[in-house]
Amino acid sequence: MDLQALKTQEHKRRVKIGFMWAFFCAILWGIWYIPGTVVWVLNPFDAMYSEIAATSGDGISLVVTAVLITAFNALTVILALMVWNGVLGKFGEMKRTLKEFHPCSKWFFLAAIFGGPMAILGSFIAMGFVGGAFAAVAALMYPVIGSILASKWYGEKITRRAYTGIAFIIAGGFTIFGGGVLTELGTGNISWIGYLGGLMAAAGWGIEGAIAGKGLDISEPDVSLTIRFIAENIIWWIIIIPLLAIVGFPMFKYAILAFEPLTLLTLIFAGITFGFCYVAWYKSFPLIGVGRGQGIGNLYGLFAVIFIFLFFGDMPAWTILLGGALCLVGSSIMFSESTEELESLRGD
Amino acid sequence: MANLRPIKFRILELCNEEGGKWNYEIVPQIQEEYGLKGNFQRDSINFDIIELASGGLLQDVEVKVDEDGIYKKGFLLHKYNITEFGQIRASDACLLNI
Repeated sequence: MDLQALKTQEHKRRVKIGFMWAFFCAILWGIWYIPGTVVWVLNPFDAMYSEIAATSGDGISLVVTAVLITAFNALTVILALMVWNGVLGKFGEMKRTLKEFHPCSKWFFLAAIFGGPMAILGSFIAMGFVGGAFAAVAALMYPVIGSILASKWYGEKITRRAYTGIAFIIAGGFTIFGGGVLTELGTGNISWIGYLGGLMAAAGWGIEGAIAGKGLDISEPDVSLTIRFIAENIIWWIIIIPLLAIVGFPMFKYAILAFEPLTLLTLIFAGITFGFCYVAWYKSFPLIGVGRGQGIGNLYGLFAVIFIFLFFGDMPAWTILLGGALCLVGSSIMFSESTEELESLRGD
Repeated sequence: MANLRPIKFRILELCNEEGGKWNYEIVPQIQEEYGLKGNFQRDSINFDIIELASGGLLQDVEVKVDEDGIYKKGFLLHKYNITEFGQIRASDACLLNI
């Protein structure tokens, strides 16, 4: 085999691995909406919700409960990631990267702010207020924000084809989003906070992706991601939850009550699916770019709808099916892109 | 060894040398310096190099087929040099001598 053919082959292999990671991410992310939805009706979170609702009202109660759920999600994710890094033997590299606050860790701490209190909390709020399928598809818009930021900020290349794919995905997202809003408009009962949660998820994950891309340039994806979740745990357990407790919400009481088998199992299930979906997400970025990684990762919307249907038997509305199909078309457009254009991800 | 910096930093430093450096030279050197043994670590370091190249921080200046199995027989060997973008990012990270 000649040199050129080998070069092409090697290049194709790299892009294929990148797409494969993004695809794994999509499947795991889709599964995550199952424990994410179930956890709301489990003890102690349902009791917590009613207790706070009785004194502070439904809206505040839901957000505060969502904070505790998100914090537990971050905790189980970090457990899963510690095991993962232990298996890969990357603790040494983690220590080295953590020490480099200015060039590396700083970015992952920033990513944690947008990913955690904004995106993940927003998702849980959307799941609690509107439902899992809605929360899943609401966040579909995030690659748009991610890829536009990545191209404006550090000149990541986005081909016209990638833009076309993204456009299809957005159209799909709108169909699903719009369908739900229209149905609720008909009943005259719209859960605005839930929709706000959906928007938080989309914006937060988009910004996180672009910021993470900046730090990932010069560090290991597995390690970077773990640092990002260490940061998120600090935000929840050392800053926000104590603050809420001081204000008078029963955070610690219910945090301790969460240690019962079924709840823990659900939370651990959430941690594993979410943790590894994130691993796959971060691993795909350096190989195929933030825009494409997020675009393919977006197939999670479709998987979430399928898994939610399989587990809960909720037959999605036709708008969700149509929207899911549009997302699939968009992602296939990105998949089938001629890989020659991906030689380097950055413009000259 | 004390004061080791993240592996990708070191790779950038190594590729900053005049004329660049081959991946089969970088990988064993890093393994040695960081005390990383075994094929898994070897591939993991090589993958770091690939990620850096894909991110536009390194570019390959020379490529040849690994006829003799210096690294992996039948696969390509790459000689990498740091790019201008890589130098900018490296100096952001306060890397010495770049």
